[in-house]
Amino acid sequence: MFGLLGPNGAGKTTTLRMLAGLYAPDAGSATVAGETIAPGRAGSGRLRARVGLLTESPGFYDRLTARENLAYFGGLYGARPQKADELLERFGLREHAARPFAELSRGMKQKLAIARALVHEPAVVFLDEPTVGLDPEATREVRSVVADLARERRTIVLCTHHLEEVERLCARAAFVAGRLVAVHEMRVSELLRVDLAAPFAPLVSRGPEGRHAIDGALRGLCRSVRAEGSSLFIEPIAEVPDIVAALVQAGARIAAVTPHKDPLEDAWLSLLAEARAE
Amino acid sequence: MMSLVLRKELLELRRSPVLLLSMASLPATVVAVPVALLAWLVRVAPEQALLFAQDIYGLRAADPALGVAMVLARNWLPMFLVLPIFLPILLAAQSIGGERERRTLEPLLATPVRTLSIILGKSLAALVPALGITWIAAALFCAGIDVVVGKPLLPDAAWLFGTLLLAPLLALFGNATAVVVSARVLDPRAAQNLAATTVLPLLGLLVVQLAGRIALGPRFYFALAAGVAVADVALIFVAVKLFDRERLLTRQ
Repeated sequence: MFGLLGPNGAGKTTTLRMLAGLYAPDAGSATVAGETIAPGRAGSGRLRARVGLLTESPGFYDRLTARENLAYFGGLYGARPQKADELLERFGLREHAARPFAELSRGMKQKLAIARALVHEPAVVFLDEPTVGLDPEATREVRSVVADLARERRTIVLCTHHLEEVERLCARAAFVAGRLVAVHEMRVSELLRVDLAAPFAPLVSRGPEGRHAIDGALRGLCRSVRAEGSSLFIEPIAEVPDIVAALVQAGARIAAVTPHKDPLEDAWLSLLAEARAE
Repeated sequence: MMSLVLRKELLELRRSPVLLLSMASLPATVVAVPVALLAWLVRVAPEQALLFAQDIYGLRAADPALGVAMVLARNWLPMFLVLPIFLPILLAAQSIGGERERRTLEPLLATPVRTLSIILGKSLAALVPALGITWIAAALFCAGIDVVVGKPLLPDAAWLFGTLLLAPLLALFGNATAVVVSARVLDPRAAQNLAATTVLPLLGLLVVQLAGRIALGPRFYFALAAGVAVADVALIFVAVKLFDRERLLTRQ
């Protein structure tokens, strides 16, 4: 799963629409599911048949039932007739299949829209802000559906404002701010964060002796050690219990040990600042 | 694909009782008012009223009731040509703008369905009910007139030509105009109002004929049929050309 991040008006939705064959790029080209998108020409019907697009709003017909809506779009995509029912079952919508779309809850509507993006078993799925405007309960439901898709190792491009969604679900994320600013690799800089209790804090934060003691205790156990306040950020080589034991032996009182990822938010804000400065 | 779009549109229409009622109200008036007027003239009104009507249209018929009925039948035919233009406009003007307003346009355009299939499906969905309502109204009008005069007066050749050949051509014209307007003017109400102006020339002719100034004959109706057929082909071509997916999604 690939994340697409950017501020409002950065061009995320436009990019998705270009990649899904709705818009023609002014310049540049792209290849999606083996189909080429060239300047001045929107993607062909063949491309649209090979990608699934979750649009910003669900976009179904109020007077048609959930099943009729899904079967209609499935038909337009040339999907198997049974596929609509399979997806209704999978997303827990079977009981609501005969209800008019207008009567469904927001979460159900969004799940139905995700089902539509999958109804023709596309090679690539584009999800545009899948949780925007949803209440916390619906957000949780939809996130769980998206997480399931991620676990299936489908090719998915997720466009969202929620950094934690990208951190949790995506292998890589692109920052867009009018142009592609950077591509961020997730989980490459995972660190071990050790929160130290007060008695140890003076040892690490005040005076070179403290730092010497830590460096001495962790020699050979870590690739690098960085101290921030009463926290240590350690790139471990040895097993975590061995590192903890070494620190305790050096006199540390350890409050918590947690895996720590390089915060995406920091990366995001600094990239945005750079993009705006240019 | 086209049949899928058509089926969906008809299903939506069937579940819109208000829209169906609004489509039926004008034809009901077009049938009821002249038949009731003729019935009043023939059965209830003083004889002078019938003679006055004869004088307006310069009739010298032995049976005044039959004479007035024949004039009414001739003069009222253009109204049944206005109906097949006007009724599809009620639906077709909503076709693109309505989808955009309900935010269903983007998912529809994201499918591999071809532009021609969308336009034909939506057009047929507007034409079928419009023609059905027009034909039912025409049948009721003819039956009403026949019952009032007590003779099988209608449908005559002009009525058969008008309802069976001209009406479908005019319905296609009204629909194609609405689709073209709808592709450019994305507010469905504005599109409907703009497309509805296409009935004005026919309404004008109807008024002039009712005033006894002109009498539209076979030559006029043949010329109208030929002209409308050519316009239909041109309008469908223009509608497909104007259907720009990107523009429809981005235009405010």
